[in-house]
Amino acid sequence: MSRRNLLSIADLTNDEIEEIFELADAAEKLRADKPAGGRIMATLFYEPSTRTRLSFESAMHRLGGSVISCSDMKSSSTAKGETVADTAKVVSSYADVLVVRHYWDGAVQAMAEHAGVPVINAGDGSHEHPSQTLCDLYTLKREKGRLKGLTVVICGDLKNGRTIHSLVYALARFGASVVTLAANGMELPQYVLERLEREYDYTLAPVATGDLKAVVTETDALYLTPKQPHQLALFTQLDPGLQTRLNTMVSGLRYDAFYMTRKQKERMKEGAAGNSYPTIGSEFLREQRFKNTVVMHPLPRVDELSPEVDQDRRGIYFKQAAYGVPVRMALLKFLFAQNEAKKAGAKKPATWFESPEPLGPQCANPNCITVTEPASARRKFDFLAGGPGGALILRCLYCDHRIKVQLVGHVKSKRYCAYDIALSDTIKNWFTNKELVIFDSIKAAEEIGYEPYKSGPQRNIMDQAAIENAVRDIARQILGDCEDPDRLLVLGIRSKGSYLAQRIAAELAAAQKRKIEIGEIEIYGSGDEIRRLSPADPEAGPLNLKDREIVLVDDVIYTGRTVKNALDIIFRSARPKSVRLAVLIDRGHREVPVKPNYVGKHIPSSERERVRVKLREAEHDEKDKVVIYSIISPVEQQARGLG
Amino acid sequence: MAQEKQILFERDELVRTVNRMAHEIIEQTASPSELVLIGIRSRGVHLARRLARKVEEVAKTAPPVGVIDVTPYRDDRAREQDPRAVGAFEIPVDVDEKTVVLIDDVIFRGRTIRAAMEAVARLGQAKRILVAALVDRGARELPIRADIVGKNIDAGAGRRVNVMLEESDGVDQITVSDW
Repeated sequence: MSRRNLLSIADLTNDEIEEIFELADAAEKLRADKPAGGRIMATLFYEPSTRTRLSFESAMHRLGGSVISCSDMKSSSTAKGETVADTAKVVSSYADVLVVRHYWDGAVQAMAEHAGVPVINAGDGSHEHPSQTLCDLYTLKREKGRLKGLTVVICGDLKNGRTIHSLVYALARFGASVVTLAANGMELPQYVLERLEREYDYTLAPVATGDLKAVVTETDALYLTPKQPHQLALFTQLDPGLQTRLNTMVSGLRYDAFYMTRKQKERMKEGAAGNSYPTIGSEFLREQRFKNTVVMHPLPRVDELSPEVDQDRRGIYFKQAAYGVPVRMALLKFLFAQNEAKKAGAKKPATWFESPEPLGPQCANPNCITVTEPASARRKFDFLAGGPGGALILRCLYCDHRIKVQLVGHVKSKRYCAYDIALSDTIKNWFTNKELVIFDSIKAAEEIGYEPYKSGPQRNIMDQAAIENAVRDIARQILGDCEDPDRLLVLGIRSKGSYLAQRIAAELAAAQKRKIEIGEIEIYGSGDEIRRLSPADPEAGPLNLKDREIVLVDDVIYTGRTVKNALDIIFRSARPKSVRLAVLIDRGHREVPVKPNYVGKHIPSSERERVRVKLREAEHDEKDKVVIYSIISPVEQQARGLG
Repeated sequence: MAQEKQILFERDELVRTVNRMAHEIIEQTASPSELVLIGIRSRGVHLARRLARKVEEVAKTAPPVGVIDVTPYRDDRAREQDPRAVGAFEIPVDVDEKTVVLIDDVIFRGRTIRAAMEAVARLGQAKRILVAALVDRGARELPIRADIVGKNIDAGAGRRVNVMLEESDGVDQITVSDW
């Protein structure tokens, strides 16, 4: 099924964009023809919008279609916990096209994957806003007659502005030059620069002095040169003193447009109020060299753009807003026609990485749909070998964020090792054969039974009797500290922590002559994170954590990050009276301030060693034991040959 | 009612302790250039700024100081509907691959620190997170430790530990009193 959506500006080829512009030029004709007669557009806005929503709705009405919408998605079934995937499936049967804005990066793509009708992205988190980009490009083209060879200065918040990201990709594709003047701390994100470099064939190089003293100093400017065809494009990343520089841009380059943006306060993790932010007023435009420079702004503006500029012929932002309707009419008409003709989309990565194991790499963007609502979007990544320094990079297919691969594994041999450039050919083979596994941590790899490649000799550090003693001792201490045994809950971290939790609970039950409630917490799963282990009564309902005295149990504590994640999960669900931590082994090397209350044994270990707890419940016909062994570094592995 | 109030630290001792903590922070970090200090509203922020000045004096490199208000994260506060309603960082800092030191005046039950850790995770992937507190009262309800402690005080649950700092209270002093 190759439905055409508009999720990213990359979904359209340059020719298709030109085609949409031609349709927009003839908007009056579209209005007369009413090509959308009998069709319904559903607008689903999870974030506020005035222009985008109204112009989409107006466009659909003018095309002869009709519009349904939900006045406030927060009051809809979303509030009852419906996933975006389900919403998309349901609304698909009510409408012929969905226009969606969502606060999570990649949410609109996830909805498109589940929808039965075309989906248009009206802004997803900090990610993209392609229909705004079409309007921007159209405005520039109408005002300047062309796009190729223009020099556009983009000012302001370039980090959080989703319109900006779509726009720079598009300007790059049409061969316009871009100067970015970011407010301090709001530079274009690295992944945007990298994508420009990789997908649009631009090379980043430091600026040659002299060429550019016009704009900035040597160190904070980056040239973006398309390898072919030969157009000038330039990128600058600015630091403080921005306003001064903006004001003192010297001639030498012609500036065709200023594109101002508002500070995206709602997307910032702070108040950051006092920071300087560039502004444009009529004083600024009085200079001769800006006499043909138009000023654009996606609106709403706050105070970065003086109302004085409204009277200036160069202030074209209200025109820009007005073009929203014809452009969106053209876009809807284009998508309907494409989908009727069943034409295939512009680009889609042919292969992507999807973990063959239930555990896999997690997108580093906490606002990505694969993190915020994994049920709607299974993690998928573009596989980019040959990153900086030979690194292996994954690009999230939903939000474009990148992660650097640290640990790789082989699904058949169930072994893992640290990624090293020397392994790149082997890894590519594994990827092609769908045998590649990627892990965020050693803990994750070992959690599902992966062993390191080539290990040194094992040393037993605890035998069955020692483990039993330790469990009994921990249970005794727990009882000593427990204020109210009725409120006690033993919560194991899956999977070995759960086995130990059950053993500890059995000791407690024997000592107290009463049943002890046991639960399990799953750190790496995507479903229910906390569940009851006993009593195994299906009628018992979900585990209640509120006001409980929780004893969290794991086999080995190392960096402490697993426990931190477990605490986050617990506190997302309820407020317990207390949480105490019991571990069989503490091997040191903490990276977060977590401290166990009960420890079976302290084992000072080096970072190259691995401690493994083997339990009867998990390993067949083996006795309980704890072993320690060294792993061999990737370089040594490589020398010996891998596999 | 008779108010029992006992002064534990006067100014000199408090200043000495903060200086010692700054040294410990430096010791616990591989390189001072990867240090990031995050002060927890409100007295943690003053302490963070003092520690940063001292670190700069000793290590010749000034660590960035972030400011965090953990109220939105605190589990003892009503839940927000929107999971994105964060707004916790008043001054955010880059934490990727950094050693982050969370700084508060008093560590007690551990709930503030847990909330702060969750907020830090939203900023990025820290290499390490440490906790520095001027006073550790013990009596933790969560398995959380303070790595760098000015003074351990076992005040008992019924007593109150007051940290007063010149920046906010006009005087540097630590006292223990009845509620």
